[in-house]
Amino acid sequence: MTDLAIELSGVGKTYPFFSLDNIDLKVPEGQIMGLIGPNGAGKSTTIRILMGLVHQDRGEVRVLGHHMPAEQVAAKWDIGFASEDMRLYESMTLGWHMSFIQSIYSSWDAAYAQLLLKRFGLRAEQKIKGLSHGQRVKATLLLVFARRPKLLILDEPTTGLDPVARHEILRELTNVMADEGRSILFSSHNTQDVEQISDQITFIDRGRIIDSMDKETYLDRWRRVRLEVPFGIDLPALPGIIGIRRDGRLAVATANEFVPGLANAYESAGARIQCIESMTLEEIFVANVEHSREEVEA
Amino acid sequence: MKGSVAGHLILKDWQLYRMPIALSIVGGVMSLAIFQWGGGWEGTMVVGSVWFYVALILVGTMLPLVGIVNERKKQNLAFVMSLPISPIQYTTSKLVSTVGMFLVPWLTLTISGLMLVEARGIVPRGSIPMMLILDAMPFVGLCIITGVALVGESEGWGIAANVFCNSSYGLVWYFLSRVPALMVNTKGPVPVWNSTVLSVLSAEFGSIVLILGLTFYLQSRKRDFI
Repeated sequence: MTDLAIELSGVGKTYPFFSLDNIDLKVPEGQIMGLIGPNGAGKSTTIRILMGLVHQDRGEVRVLGHHMPAEQVAAKWDIGFASEDMRLYESMTLGWHMSFIQSIYSSWDAAYAQLLLKRFGLRAEQKIKGLSHGQRVKATLLLVFARRPKLLILDEPTTGLDPVARHEILRELTNVMADEGRSILFSSHNTQDVEQISDQITFIDRGRIIDSMDKETYLDRWRRVRLEVPFGIDLPALPGIIGIRRDGRLAVATANEFVPGLANAYESAGARIQCIESMTLEEIFVANVEHSREEVEA
Repeated sequence: MKGSVAGHLILKDWQLYRMPIALSIVGGVMSLAIFQWGGGWEGTMVVGSVWFYVALILVGTMLPLVGIVNERKKQNLAFVMSLPISPIQYTTSKLVSTVGMFLVPWLTLTISGLMLVEARGIVPRGSIPMMLILDAMPFVGLCIITGVALVGESEGWGIAANVFCNSSYGLVWYFLSRVPALMVNTKGPVPVWNSTVLSVLSAEFGSIVLILGLTFYLQSRKRDFI
């Protein structure tokens, strides 16, 4: 059995205007899990629960084998956490922050920290207030990476970064995963970033997990089928088709469990297949969210 | 792991805020110098004593507002809480560091003031009890602002506590100066520790313990920290 870096079972949290419902999530050790959701979906709340900063009202949370929030101190020794709304002390230098973290963690890798300084184009003697947004994010991640944590929890770390900075950070995340024992939970609403590095992907919307599986399975299963449908013919409802958009003689069917038999079934019904297209992760995400919302509202 | 993380956080606060602590000591010492400079002239004594208390009040206001309210407002708290520390350990470190940092100028200036009274004899030694009562007030104020800043979790609550404390000092001084048992011996040659003086001092230091304890209790009951 694979050890789990993160395990959430039936986790819920209720606020006056938002609730996180019945979250089940498993991240095996050595895997990168991308947590994708629109703004306000519950990504940050889920992550705060994982870090013990918010107590769940219901359900069990285990991180690196520790029950959260009760054992958060023990768990956090091995967690590297960075979030989009995290800031370093502006009046102090990056070097001061490096010394501060080094004074706490015996796992601090000074040689790797120096390497990251070079790779990220940062200078230890520079004050944080003099850094650009991208440099601040890189400085924060340097402090996280150089302590060599077993688990990285990153809440929208690439938000607001230019493509070059995003690329540098994603490349470094890939380097971090060279050690197979490490795991990453990476939340974002940027599907490109998640698609680039994740092994597993979870979609979350309106406080519920709407789908979770490995990236390749998503990309294999989801297809868009473009059809020409003569007037007077109704397309059959087929399993694996989550939506059909029709405009005159043209129709587009979205499949979340595509098998070649679906196309045959449409042809048997009198439609002509124009093409079967693969979908990007962003298209899958949007279609998934829309389908989930329709199901909830129905 | 290297020692207590709370200890590292206390040390971090000392490094971040040592300049205002040093400035408050310099300001307080200068005010004492002004106090004795006139050789008993009322003008320099008033200016010196006002600046002395202003230095204590300023540092007592600044430490919790910058160290707690600003840390949350400027989103440094997420960085701190990413470290292996629980919310209640964070609270402990903040209470220890804020009170500890305040005690440095407070003790330095209070002891300096007492030494000045003893050595120079510009004001009667009978004023020492009242001087200590007034000295303890910014300490109480610091604890109120610290507690509200930690529990209230917002700049608004921090500022409200600050305004409340700063506007209360004058009122409390006014009422205390009208208590005959406190004032009757202030011009005497020796300090008189009568029951009224001891009651007021006990109330001040008792409220410090109560406020810090209540803060700790309320923080320990919180379910959401950020």
